[in-house]
Amino acid sequence: MKHKVLAGSFVLVAVAVFLVGVSATNSLAKDKIRIGQAIALSGPLAGGVAIAGGRIYVMWVEEVNKNGGIYVKEYGKKLPVELIRYDDKSDIGTMTKLLEKLILEDKVDFVFPPWGTAWLYAAAPVANKYGYILIGGPGGALKLKELSLPYFFQVLNFSETQAPALADIFKEVGVKSVAIIYRGDLHGVEYGEAMVPYFEKRGIEVKMKKSYPPGIKDLSPLLKEAKSLGVDAFCAASYPPGGMLLTGQAIELGINFNAFFITVTPFSPNLYRDTFGKDVVEGVMGGGAWNAKTSPGAKEFVDKFVARFGMEPDYWGGLYYWSSLQHFQQAIEQAGTLDQKKIRDIMAKKKFNTALGPFWYDKDRYFVNHPGEIGQWQKGVFEVIDPGKKRTAPPLYPKPAWPKK
Amino acid sequence: MIVTILDVVIAGLLMGGIYALVAVGLSLQYGVARVLNVAHGEFIMLGAFITWSLYTMAGINPLVSLIICGPTVFIIGFVLYRAVFTRLRTSSASPAAFEGNSMLACFGLLFIIQNVAILIWGADIKGYTFLAFPVNFWGAVFAANRLVTLVFALVIGAVFYLFLARTRLGKGIRAAAQDPGTAGLVGVNINQVLALCFGFGALMAGLGGTLISMSYKIQPTMGLEYTIIALIVIVLGGLGSIPGSFIGGFILGLVGSIVTYIEPGLALVAYYVIFILLLLARPTGILGK
Repeated sequence: MKHKVLAGSFVLVAVAVFLVGVSATNSLAKDKIRIGQAIALSGPLAGGVAIAGGRIYVMWVEEVNKNGGIYVKEYGKKLPVELIRYDDKSDIGTMTKLLEKLILEDKVDFVFPPWGTAWLYAAAPVANKYGYILIGGPGGALKLKELSLPYFFQVLNFSETQAPALADIFKEVGVKSVAIIYRGDLHGVEYGEAMVPYFEKRGIEVKMKKSYPPGIKDLSPLLKEAKSLGVDAFCAASYPPGGMLLTGQAIELGINFNAFFITVTPFSPNLYRDTFGKDVVEGVMGGGAWNAKTSPGAKEFVDKFVARFGMEPDYWGGLYYWSSLQHFQQAIEQAGTLDQKKIRDIMAKKKFNTALGPFWYDKDRYFVNHPGEIGQWQKGVFEVIDPGKKRTAPPLYPKPAWPKK
Repeated sequence: MIVTILDVVIAGLLMGGIYALVAVGLSLQYGVARVLNVAHGEFIMLGAFITWSLYTMAGINPLVSLIICGPTVFIIGFVLYRAVFTRLRTSSASPAAFEGNSMLACFGLLFIIQNVAILIWGADIKGYTFLAFPVNFWGAVFAANRLVTLVFALVIGAVFYLFLARTRLGKGIRAAAQDPGTAGLVGVNINQVLALCFGFGALMAGLGGTLISMSYKIQPTMGLEYTIIALIVIVLGGLGSIPGSFIGGFILGLVGSIVTYIEPGLALVAYYVIFILLLLARPTGILGK
């Protein structure tokens, strides 16, 4: 009997606490901005999230809160930001479900993007359906432009601007032929296969073009085949597991090309440069790109990131995402409300100053003022080697051979 | 042409050696201890990360780590079996019920080990460089670390096979595999033997992890892909058979290598095609009874 009374009163208290809690969140004025993000915290992509992009969102939230939050006129005060993260386990279906849960059940104020091209491609229509702004993070697809979703903003550059820059660099240094391999998913198609016409237009012969499945354990046959075809340049559209395997095997087998380019992976100072060693990766090219020399804001961002996490940020998207969030914050402040439509309209039109300089979107809501397209490791710095003003160092060609052990 | 054939065949054998080593442990755990250990890959991951930590922090040669990783992971496996699976086995109504229950427990184990590893080491990819130089066979070139891996896989497999075939404890294990009830009646301490078996399975996974970390980059979530490969290999080779695991591993490695040479996009598809064909033609596996 005594137990039942005890248990009964416990349930009553629990219900009361719950009710008070619910009414408090409903009736009281807004005290924070809640942002949801379904992103890979486990599974094959988690490693990519950890080195590229994942931390930028965390750091931005901390930075905003350190300054008291975002000023929203409608509420007449600065609102701190809370980041609610769910683990999509590197699964696209789980990600879209969690994204819908964040929007429909958790009723977050804003959403942040998942990680990866195919994931972004799946998330954009979902966010758009509910009228939520989605600022694209790591990933990018030409196919999204065709959909022309009004609430989707593309931040990262991709083959559309990277492939022509790479082809121009190759032409400049005298590359005559290339081999291309690419991961058998949307990233591979968007970043790898898409390079072919740009090379062909500049008279560079594509002697080999092959896809490989994401889980493959041995890429040496592809390296050997490319070597036997005698190509000048080897290009791979891969994610970190493939990029690391490919580089490791090229070094182990002593297979050298005059140019060695990988889309995703070389941009990471921690994973790529520091795992293989500064001297080993000398001359490797990668998608990107920016570095501390890009702008004063970039230098400041690197310093802040190093102070916070004890490592350098990634030199592809790091600065892109950071600046897109600074642009987003200024758009909210100018809108003076948390209304998605009003903020969206300001974002689509207005140019704001950010760490990388002026930041704005074009008519398709694609960010265009990229700090760079192609990077190359030179003496431990990921130099921007694009032809034109953005170049921070001339390309190193031919790439030095892998050092012998 | 000859170089190409050598390239394809040796690459297949090198891959097959890794697959076999990964599968031997699971074959033992499932074939004898009747635990379909879906967390098998997690033990491989533990072996890989212990090796990485020892190498990057204390400069310990990965081949020396074999002696450290193996026993460490063995103890984890042994204690786990005694703490969790012995209880589950005695409380399950039938052997079939035990298989189901233990598999569920292993799923839990998978998430626990993986997340503990993420807490300790972080989710990022890690790696080190060891024996990363080319070795030339009549024009076909391979990485030294992979060749060392193959040699060690074969030696470990052979030693273990002899242990099972020639020693008293090995006989006990085989007896327990054939008929646990009768083995118990004739004086085999069945709980002890099954726990040892599970521990040996973990030990093989740990050794596999050490060898894998020499040629692959590692991350806490790497386990599942190896578990899946191991499952295919033991079904191919026959449950509980060590030579079967090696035959299955080499078949898978060779097929993968040949298909990669023709069309890399289909490499993984080929594995599953073989798997399905074998299930249809010989469900007990090549050396299964």
